[in-house]
Amino acid sequence: MISFGLIFFVSLFFTGIVSKTKSLLSGRKGPGLMQPLKDIIRLFRKRSIFSETTSIIFQIAPSISFASVLMAVMVLPLGHSQGLLSFEGDFVFFAYVLAAGKFFSILAALDTGSSFEGMGASRESLFSMLAEPAFFILMGSFGLMTGYTSFHKIFLALHFGSYISYALGVIAMFVLVMICMVENSRMPIDDPKTHLELTMVHEVMILDNSGFDLGLISYTTMLKFSMYGSLIANLFLGDSPLYGTIPAFLGIQFLFAVLAGALESFSARFRMSHNAQFILVLSSLSLLVLFGVLVMLGRFN
Amino acid sequence: MTNILLIIFIISLLYFAIANRLMTYVKIIALQGVILFGVAFIELLEINVINLILILLETIIVKAVMIPAFMSYVIRKNKITREAEPFLPNFLSLIIVTGIIIGTFIIASFIDDPNLHKIYFVTALSALFCGFFFISSRRKIITHVICYVIIENGVVILSLAVGNEMPMLVNLGILLDVFVSVFLLGIFINKIGDVMGEGDVGSLNRLKD
Repeated sequence: MISFGLIFFVSLFFTGIVSKTKSLLSGRKGPGLMQPLKDIIRLFRKRSIFSETTSIIFQIAPSISFASVLMAVMVLPLGHSQGLLSFEGDFVFFAYVLAAGKFFSILAALDTGSSFEGMGASRESLFSMLAEPAFFILMGSFGLMTGYTSFHKIFLALHFGSYISYALGVIAMFVLVMICMVENSRMPIDDPKTHLELTMVHEVMILDNSGFDLGLISYTTMLKFSMYGSLIANLFLGDSPLYGTIPAFLGIQFLFAVLAGALESFSARFRMSHNAQFILVLSSLSLLVLFGVLVMLGRFN
Repeated sequence: MTNILLIIFIISLLYFAIANRLMTYVKIIALQGVILFGVAFIELLEINVINLILILLETIIVKAVMIPAFMSYVIRKNKITREAEPFLPNFLSLIIVTGIIIGTFIIASFIDDPNLHKIYFVTALSALFCGFFFISSRRKIITHVICYVIIENGVVILSLAVGNEMPMLVNLGILLDVFVSVFLLGIFINKIGDVMGEGDVGSLNRLKD
């Protein structure tokens, strides 16, 4: 319950902090923290316009993808307090409910009949497909390490003791940050500020959306960011008491937002053909985490 | 601590699979030399001092400084182009390297010997196989030398696993091996560069009596 509220609270400012960091690092003053939120509120007041070639799928897709992210946020715990939903194997639920939302946004992009949007949809599905094994191997090895299969119990039982576990923690954090960047279509993979349809990934899929739907999609992105941020925060929180967890959670989210902004300012975008191999590297790294866990457990000595 | 170093070593193999520039390869070799120095320093503290100093000097000076410096000298001297130009796309070689690492893990879990340090075994064996794979998939002669050094690193890791019982001769042999191979091939490249312009294996097909 607490995590649900906190993730919502953080999501209101997340993109603001990212863009503020980007503008400060490039020597500009930049828009205020609330500017992305104000944009979304402005969009919410507007009416959506639908192309005549589209069907009902196109109209329901933004709501479905927003709902899927909402469902995924529900299973995330915060320290001792578990999420709204918590059951055995909920990290599988987490991944596939997100995939369902993505599936509908891909369908909507194909529904418009634009060749650009089809291209963007194909790229987005390829990248998510490649990022999926990385997430599952990572969560699976955490499950193996702790012996549980739900987010709440895994993160409660996860604690770093020996040298090797610190190395694993660093690799796991790197993989999670990069999965977040891939899933949100941010800088090393995709440039949200690009103006050429041929080089877009996510932005080209939402070209036909307008008004309320566009606002919903933008807010979904913000929510997704803070969702992955809370996943990373949970990696470190362990079972400290609530008055320690909440400030730590907010601090880690803030650091994550600043890190995302810095990553976007200082890294150039990959060539499109390099993206696939980069995302595959994440899977290889999470495989190393799995082997490290096997070494730690003494199954492999 | 050695586990962390060996994990970094495996990550460097993955990075080697997707790197494009020759200088990146040389830097990876230098990094592996530093990692070997760290592993030897932690692992071999029990053997006698002179032997230890010899091994440490070999890893830090020869493997981490001299060989990379010599290689970058050769690359600059022969005006070899900076791109590595592999036969396979990087994506495929990444998959193959990952497959090699998984395979060595499976092999190591089949071998049930209590005297075997499995993580050393895995790292060494994957370095060996990856070295062979890189040799067969890269076009230039200088990359063959670089990959040969990776194989040597694998052998050194394997001999570090036997650690404190390791006779000095093994290590000297390795050192000599590296020296001879790198220098011979360096001269070889120098000669070939005079005749053919660039050390490309493909152009060896044109050789005739």
